[in-house]
Amino acid sequence: MDLVRHLECFVAVAEESHFGRAAARLGMAQPPLSQRIQRLERELGVRLFERTSRQVRITEAGTLLLAEARELLTRAESLRATARRVRDGETGLLRAALSPDISGETVAALLADFRRRHAGLELELHELSTAQQLAGFAAHELDVGLIHHPCDVTGLELGPVLRRDLGVLLPRGAVPADREEVPLAALTGYDLVLFPRADAPAVYDDLLTACARGGWTPGAVRHGQGASFVRGLVLSSGAVALCPRDTRLVTPGDQDLVWRPLAGAAPAWRHSVAWPRGRGDSAVAAFTDAATHALRTTAGAHSEAPARPLHLRPASEYWL
Amino acid sequence: MTDTVTLARLDAAFAEAGVTGWLHAVDVDSGAQVEAGADQAVCTASVHKVCVLVTLHERAAAGALDLTEQVECPPAGRTPGPTGLSAMLDPVRMSLRDAAFWMMSVSDNTAADLLLRRVGLDAVNRTAERLGLTRTRAVYGFGEMLATMREDTGPAGAQALTDPHVITRLRALDPARTNRSTPRDMTRLLAAVWRDEACPPEYGAAMRRIMGLQVWPHRLASGFPFDDVHVAGKTGSLPTLRNEVGVVEYPDGGRYAVAVFTRTAHTAATLPAADAVIGTAARIAVDALRAP
Repeated sequence: MDLVRHLECFVAVAEESHFGRAAARLGMAQPPLSQRIQRLERELGVRLFERTSRQVRITEAGTLLLAEARELLTRAESLRATARRVRDGETGLLRAALSPDISGETVAALLADFRRRHAGLELELHELSTAQQLAGFAAHELDVGLIHHPCDVTGLELGPVLRRDLGVLLPRGAVPADREEVPLAALTGYDLVLFPRADAPAVYDDLLTACARGGWTPGAVRHGQGASFVRGLVLSSGAVALCPRDTRLVTPGDQDLVWRPLAGAAPAWRHSVAWPRGRGDSAVAAFTDAATHALRTTAGAHSEAPARPLHLRPASEYWL
Repeated sequence: MTDTVTLARLDAAFAEAGVTGWLHAVDVDSGAQVEAGADQAVCTASVHKVCVLVTLHERAAAGALDLTEQVECPPAGRTPGPTGLSAMLDPVRMSLRDAAFWMMSVSDNTAADLLLRRVGLDAVNRTAERLGLTRTRAVYGFGEMLATMREDTGPAGAQALTDPHVITRLRALDPARTNRSTPRDMTRLLAAVWRDEACPPEYGAAMRRIMGLQVWPHRLASGFPFDDVHVAGKTGSLPTLRNEVGVVEYPDGGRYAVAVFTRTAHTAATLPAADAVIGTAARIAVDALRAP
C-alpha cells in the first residue's frame, strides 16, 4: 500500500474531524477516503478514529501516531523537492529570490559562494519583494528566498536573522549632512523615499513608527526603489531616503549626495533566508549559508541585537 | 453569498492594518451572512472561553451544578495571566457564576481553568458537538496552552516573542495542534446563545449579561461608536493573533453575530491598528447585512 498517500488521508481526517470535509480537501470522494482509513487501520493494527453518526473523533492511539505521521509527510515532501531538483542528474534547479534592496556586490558574492558549495546545481535567482516571495512559497513556485522581517512566517523555516543598520541619504548641502551621525528628529521637514508598502507592509509600518518615535514624521512618503529614481528624488525634491550603507547609492567622491549613519538606536532592515516548512534540503542549506555569509562580509550585516524589553499589557491576555 | 464590494472593503481593511483576517457575520434572525474565509481553521485562544461559558450554563440547566456554588481559589497554582484572579495575591472564594463573569469580562485565565476543571474538557467538546460546531475542539486547558508557549519560547521569556524563529515554532499558533474553531462555528455558537437554543432562556439571559460586561473597547466594540448599539463579545489573543467574536445589537432589533480572527505579519505585542481592524471589519460586515 502507498503509505504516504494513506497517511495524508489520516492527517486530513484528523485535522478536519469530518470525512466529507477531509475528502473535499484531498480532492477525492468520501467512500474511497473511508476505505483508505480502514485499510490503514488494518495495516497498522490500530483503530485511529471513533466514528459516531454525527462526528469522527481521533482515538488516543490515533493521537499518538499523528505527530509521527505529520513528520513522515514532511520528509516525503522534502524528498520530492530534492528529487525534482536532481531529476535530470546534475542539472537540478533551485528557485531562489532576493529582495530588491540587496546590493550588486552581495548578489555577486552569494552566487560565487553558492557555486562553490553546490557546483552541480543551477540557481535560478529572482528579484522579488518579501510579499512576492511569501506568495511564491505558497504557490510552490519558489524554493528559498531572502526576506525582510517582520512578516507573516506561518509555515516557514528560517535561517539566522541578520540586521543591516539604516542610515540616511541626503543632499550634500542639506543642513543635517553636516553631522557625523544624524538624529531622526533632525530630518523634520523632509519627505521620505521608501519602497511601496505592499512589498512588505509590516516592515514599512515598523519604519514609520520608528521615525515617529524618533521625532520625525515625514510630511509625505514617496514610493521608489530604483537607485537612479531614489537619487533623483533626494537630489531635487526635499526628500531623504533611509538605507543601509551597503546600498551604495552614494558613489565614491559623490558631489551630490552623502550617506550618514543615524544617531542612537537606529532602525534596521532585518533579514533571514526562509523556505517552506519541510522543504529544506542540502541545496536550501547551501543557499542559506551563502546568503548569510555574503550579507555578513559584503553588507556589514550582523546578528540581532538583544531584544528590547517587552511589556505585555493586560489586554494581551497571555503571560509568560 | 457576499458581494464583491464588501469583500474588497474587508480585504482592504485587513491589508491596511497589516493583518490576514478571516470573518463570518450572520444576521441572528434572518440567517443572512457575510463571509471572508469563514471556514478557515483558526486558533481560538481565549475565544474558547465562550465554549466554557456555554458548557457551564448547560450543565447548570441540566441540574448537574449550581451556579451559586462557592469555589475556593487559593493563591498557589493559579494560571498565569494579567487580569482577575490570575493577578490577585490573596485567597478568594466566589460563586461559579462570578468566576464566569471574571473569565469573560477580563479574560481571567485562572477563573477559566477553575470552571474548566469543574465541568471537564470533554464536556466542553460535547457541548460544541451538540450545537453542531463540527470544527471546534479544545485540546488544552488555558494553563496547559500557556505552558506549551513557555516551553516553545524558551528561557528568554516574553521578549523572545518578537523573534521570528520563536514565532515559527509555537505550537499554540498552529490550529492543528491547539484549541481551534472556525469563524462560522463561532457565529453559530453565538446565534444559538442569542436565540436561546443553546440553553433555556434564563440561562441564556445570564450568558448574554456576562458577555455584555466585557471591558475591552479596542477591538469589536471600536467599530460601533454608537451609544444606542450594544456590543457583547469575547476576545482572544496570542503572539501575532488577535480575535474577537460577539453580537452587535441595534435599537431597531437587528442583531448580528460576528467572528473575526486575525494574524499580524508584525511580531510586536502592541499594535493598535491590528486591534481596531477587528471592529472595522465587523462594521463593514454588519453594514452590508443592514443595507436595504
